Amino acid sequence: MRILVVDDDPFAAEMVAAVLEDGGCDAIVVDGAGPAQTVLNADKDFDAIVSDMNMPGQSGMELFRALRAQGSSVPFILLSADDPDVLAQREPRLDACIAKDADLETSLMVTLADVLLPPAD
Amino acid sequence: MIPTHTASLRDKVGHLRSLFLARLPGMLEEARLACLCLSGGKAAETAIDDLQRLFHNLKGTAATLGLPELSAESSSATELVAGWRLMPVAMRSEVLPSWQRKLANSIARLAVLECQASAALPPPQGAAAPDLPRSARDKKPDLRLKRVYLCDAELDGRQLESPLLCFGYTLTSFCDTASLLRAAAAECPDAIVVQASMATGLAGYENRSDTPLLIVGDDGDFATRLAAVKAGAVAYFQKPIAGHELVEALDMATTQLEPAPYRVLIVDDEPEMADYHASILESVGMSARRLNEPARILEELDEFQPDLLLMDVYMPIASGRELSRVVRQIPQFVGLPILFLSSETDKMEQVSALQVGADGFLTKPIPPQDLITAVAVRAERTRVLRSLMMRDSLTGLLNHTTLSQFLETSLAAAQRQGVPLCFMMLDVDRFKVVNDTYGHQAGDQVLMALARVLKQRLRNSDMIGRYGGEEFAAVLQGVGVSEAVRFVDAIREDFAALTFKAGDKRFSCSFSCGIAGFPDYETAEGLVYAADQALYAAKRGGRNRVIADAAADAIAGEKQ
Repeated sequence: MRILVVDDDPFAAEMVAAVLEDGGCDAIVVDGAGPAQTVLNADKDFDAIVSDMNMPGQSGMELFRALRAQGSSVPFILLSADDPDVLAQREPRLDACIAKDADLETSLMVTLADVLLPPAD
Repeated sequence: MIPTHTASLRDKVGHLRSLFLARLPGMLEEARLACLCLSGGKAAETAIDDLQRLFHNLKGTAATLGLPELSAESSSATELVAGWRLMPVAMRSEVLPSWQRKLANSIARLAVLECQASAALPPPQGAAAPDLPRSARDKKPDLRLKRVYLCDAELDGRQLESPLLCFGYTLTSFCDTASLLRAAAAECPDAIVVQASMATGLAGYENRSDTPLLIVGDDGDFATRLAAVKAGAVAYFQKPIAGHELVEALDMATTQLEPAPYRVLIVDDEPEMADYHASILESVGMSARRLNEPARILEELDEFQPDLLLMDVYMPIASGRELSRVVRQIPQFVGLPILFLSSETDKMEQVSALQVGADGFLTKPIPPQDLITAVAVRAERTRVLRSLMMRDSLTGLLNHTTLSQFLETSLAAAQRQGVPLCFMMLDVDRFKVVNDTYGHQAGDQVLMALARVLKQRLRNSDMIGRYGGEEFAAVLQGVGVSEAVRFVDAIREDFAALTFKAGDKRFSCSFSCGIAGFPDYETAEGLVYAADQALYAAKRGGRNRVIADAAADAIAGEKQ
């Protein structure tokens, strides 16, 4: 599985990539919404996007809205240091929104599985 | 299903955590610099943006890396910054001081948490040589903000407030000395800054208090300076005052470093006499070394670096007179006070001893208290003179001469002990452009920031000097070249990441560095030359890089 990781903080980006790689994914890291758009324009073959919310220039939320406006439907997981529920309410179309906290190691892969796998009845 | 993590994820997270903690001091320095620009205008807006992003990132990253205390503190800082943005602009200037105080406190707490977390890190696995410990880890940072009381009718305290706050000082302004004294009686400040014409209002204060007094005035003439001295001032500033100068002076006046004991070298061919005098001096906490063979005096001076030399006049092989001539032949020891001890009561003999460069003549048997006073007074003066002569006034680093001397002595010590040593030369890239484009104040800001970063990141035993202009140098003891390169390279990356502000323009700076080491070179000249060549290679190789001397040679070899 190929995941695009968007975060301006290199430590956070590496951390997210490490968790994804540990879960068997390939992580491609970019440091902002602009570079993310550039990569996605050239290469649409991503299974999901994991983006930080708070970034200089375009925020993670703005990136998500721009992508949806362009017709992209790649599952989008927003990460935030703030309360994720507030963000999820603000933008119900988000596939998931999770907190940047000590549980990220577990919550990220669980969330990714939820987003990518159809619910088992 | 809960995913199980492999050992490699644990390792990666541990590695990221230590990388993050290593970068944190640089990020906090950036936060302090941003705090300098908060008093208004466009620069203040970008500074606030920077602070918000920085703390917000810290909050999230620290949490994911398993550093909950750091994350919580960053979260409070983020809220502080967010609160500022929500505040109506009209209200801002009023609450700026108290708000800045809170933010400075928060940055200080983050620095402490970083130290604690770094100390708790496991040692790197499989590392042959341990990383250089940072001085920040050896020293406990002083958490408390220091209080400065200012009394100057002409000076706008607000202009000085934010630069002082960044370096841990809170400023309270008073309109007259009477109210300042009342406040000082209630809560004693760490330093008082007062206008020269108002200093008389504080007459006698210095006798009742240890609080350092700094005086500022318009004139730099003798009468004003003398009046400042008589008023008990530890420093006098001629206006206009640059914030960074005041910070340096306050740092010096308020840092209560436990003074190192005076070091006295006693030369006496009679061991009992040497012991007797040494024990008197040691009884008051001085450090005395006994030398019974005058022939070893040069080695002892080099190794012990005394503040004062106490010697017997009559000794076999070489008399005290001859010995002092020998000592005075060496430029480094021209200023070293020499006291003679003798049962000689003949005035003519005493005068002739003074003629060869002795500073005083004590008659045996000397009452212990007289010996102590005679030694302490002279050793103190040497100390003061030495520290004034040794330091560069802008950065507080050692000056060229002193660092060169230190290189000689530490090289000799390294040779004796058979341990490695490095000499590095460092030059700010395109510094002239910075000065020409952003002004000299911006240039000074860069030099001071670099000095602070170096002081913060190198160890206490590493000696750092300003070699002149935008050139710095340092002696790193007990470290090999490759280790030093690795370490300085991390400092280089952090320094290059700092953003400076001049008006509403932002810029960053980098440095190039060349490093050479003992035992590759056995003389100070050899080391300095090799480091300089490596620095030249770093500049020629495109700047913003650290080049080891051997690597510099390889590049030169390829080109031939």
